[in-house]
Amino acid sequence: MGNQLAVGLGEIKMSRDPQDLLIAYGLGSCMGIGIYDPVTRVAGLLHAILPIHPGSGDSASKYVDTGIPMLVDMLTRAGALRSRMVVRMAGGANMLVAPGFTNTFDIGSRNIDATHKVLAQMNLKVLGYEVGGNTGRTVRFYVNDGRMTIRTVGNNEREI
Amino acid sequence: MSQTNNKFDLRLIEMLNKMANVGIYNAARGLSGMVGESLEVENPGVKLVPLADIPNLLGGPEAEAVGIYLRAEGNLGGQIMLVIPYQKSLELADMIIGLPPGTTKQLGSLERSALAEMGNLTGTFFMNAVAEATGLSLRPSPPAVMVDMVGAVLDIVLATAAQLSEHVMMIQATFSCQGRAVNTDFWMIPDRYTLEAIAKRERGSNG
Repeated sequence: MGNQLAVGLGEIKMSRDPQDLLIAYGLGSCMGIGIYDPVTRVAGLLHAILPIHPGSGDSASKYVDTGIPMLVDMLTRAGALRSRMVVRMAGGANMLVAPGFTNTFDIGSRNIDATHKVLAQMNLKVLGYEVGGNTGRTVRFYVNDGRMTIRTVGNNEREI
Repeated sequence: MSQTNNKFDLRLIEMLNKMANVGIYNAARGLSGMVGESLEVENPGVKLVPLADIPNLLGGPEAEAVGIYLRAEGNLGGQIMLVIPYQKSLELADMIIGLPPGTTKQLGSLERSALAEMGNLTGTFFMNAVAEATGLSLRPSPPAVMVDMVGAVLDIVLATAAQLSEHVMMIQATFSCQGRAVNTDFWMIPDRYTLEAIAKRERGSNG
């Protein structure tokens, strides 16, 4: 087993060591967005909290719309080619399902929408995803082959 | 960051600490009424926690936990989230429902409503303490109960707090009843207007 690199809230981690495993634990409304170049075998995982950067000061990797371009830049600098990059992603759950909360608090859906929009704008191909719903997810992204697996409470790990 | 530190200066923390104490002791009294036994609160404390550290404080982001969430409505906005590790929530359910320790093995709808009611009481009493201290009106939404990974449960709080500041306020308290003790963590996320109102009041009370 290689190194397990935890990707914390609002962080990006990248690796080109095929032994490495990038992990984002317990995603609720947050998004785990993994981008991979299968030729150079370099992988990066973004753990974004909110959809849109407010435009000043704050860290780019906390937000979907600024985090994805940042991750693509990092991968490009590490030798990945944009045209070969593929995406796998999970998260964007709506954790609050009680009456009265749903509409105002659906950050999960807004995160998913923002992700699709940015990926389309950047012309990035999505190979697998498991988004929405109302359960938390742990995401594992394998540098070796760009696989992504998901774990939810009480279920076995599955590949997307 | 400097903005955050201004918002959460030491005197403000002290004020929040006082309100948290009043709120929690009131909540314990309310809970005692509900349980029909005398419930005590030990060592309530308030501290500021960096956003990114939160999931690690509760057994790691993948650990299973129960979250009870309330929103404040009225002049002041804010959120209260009680987070209880799953195993502790079973003990708490036993305590509240009045069952021998170890009886509850999983959370059914009865146990969930008991926990929701506990969150409701705690949140309401806390909000009353804030309302009293600030002179503003504040009422809680109905509680929502979630059972999932700590990280996922806390995302609700994090997503809102991330826009406001890098730190959130954590209140820790231990409820005990007849020698049984269960510790809980509350995350109080006052919005900036609430904080300003509290700070203003705090300045006023000190001349």
